[in-house]
Amino acid sequence: MAIRSLRRAVLRALSPLQSSSSLIPATQNSSLFSLSNYSAEPSTSASYSCPNFSCNSIPCRRLSSLTEEESHGPAAVNYCSLLTEEEYHKLANSTIHDLLEKLEEYGDSVDIDGFDVDYGNEVLTLKLGDFGTYVINKQTPNRQIWMSSPVSGPSRFDWDQKAEAWIYKRTKQNLFKVLETELEKLCNKPISLS
Amino acid sequence: MLRQATSRVIGWRLSPAGPPLRLYHERVVDHYNNPRNVGAFDKNDSGVGTGLVGAPACGDVMKLQIKVDEESGKIVDACFKTFGCGSAIASSSVATEWVKGRPVEEVLSIKNTEIAKHLSLPPVKLHCSMLAEDAIKAAVKDYEAKHSKSSGATPLEMPLSG
Repeated sequence: MAIRSLRRAVLRALSPLQSSSSLIPATQNSSLFSLSNYSAEPSTSASYSCPNFSCNSIPCRRLSSLTEEESHGPAAVNYCSLLTEEEYHKLANSTIHDLLEKLEEYGDSVDIDGFDVDYGNEVLTLKLGDFGTYVINKQTPNRQIWMSSPVSGPSRFDWDQKAEAWIYKRTKQNLFKVLETELEKLCNKPISLS
Repeated sequence: MLRQATSRVIGWRLSPAGPPLRLYHERVVDHYNNPRNVGAFDKNDSGVGTGLVGAPACGDVMKLQIKVDEESGKIVDACFKTFGCGSAIASSSVATEWVKGRPVEEVLSIKNTEIAKHLSLPPVKLHCSMLAEDAIKAAVKDYEAKHSKSSGATPLEMPLSG
């Protein structure tokens, strides 16, 4: 309820003064933001997946067909529609706890000045001294795991049921693989996270 | 060196028992207090591209609009409205500054890493800069979609940002 009234307030604030049309056509689920003004005809440009969208379990299913119609490129699968909040929390929590354990062990075996792994408020922070800091956290509304890497910057991973892995849609990369590659490069020692 | 660093940031310190120190770079504070180009254009104007990204539930929504001079293909004006944290507001404010005066295709090369570096965003706020990059791309995509409809030409391929 609170989210709906907040969304209404934001829409009101963002709409131009004279516009009577909503930012999103009435046919589309009004509880979601599309990437840009949604056009009735599918875009012919290369697929550009929606970077972020809020979802509740019912509207999600409608969005998934919407994004598939919108582009002629590879279908933008809405992974969020495949996970309930409970399933998401289970998966994400176990992934992050797994990572925490493995990173703590890794820290004991590498000699990095300022190495520190911290987990608090469901946020995993990995400090690598001069190499920078990783922040890995849950983004529940999107059913995503967000990562901020000193090497590759920000990325957002969705759960892929088929691959049984967290995948970043834009690069098709796997969360564990990205971390393994980057950590090995930074710390000169391989790590296995899968 | 510590004194130099602290003189460039403005923040507040909570009690030793409380949450850790939070610091905002002075550029973030500047954009937050004096945001550039806040406003809105008529989204139905053929020269206007509108990018709307993010979601309230996630805590960040950005609307970035560009006004393009159709003859020269250059962005002559830009504006934004953002709902979100100081870093998100600053990122989108910076984005509107950087797109002005540049050709439409060129602004697609603005990277979130450049915005983040300019604002000295901490790791946890890099996502805000990415959202600003996405907002620019969305605005360009919208403008080009409008023009492909009117001219019948195929819009430029949108590069997948990585």
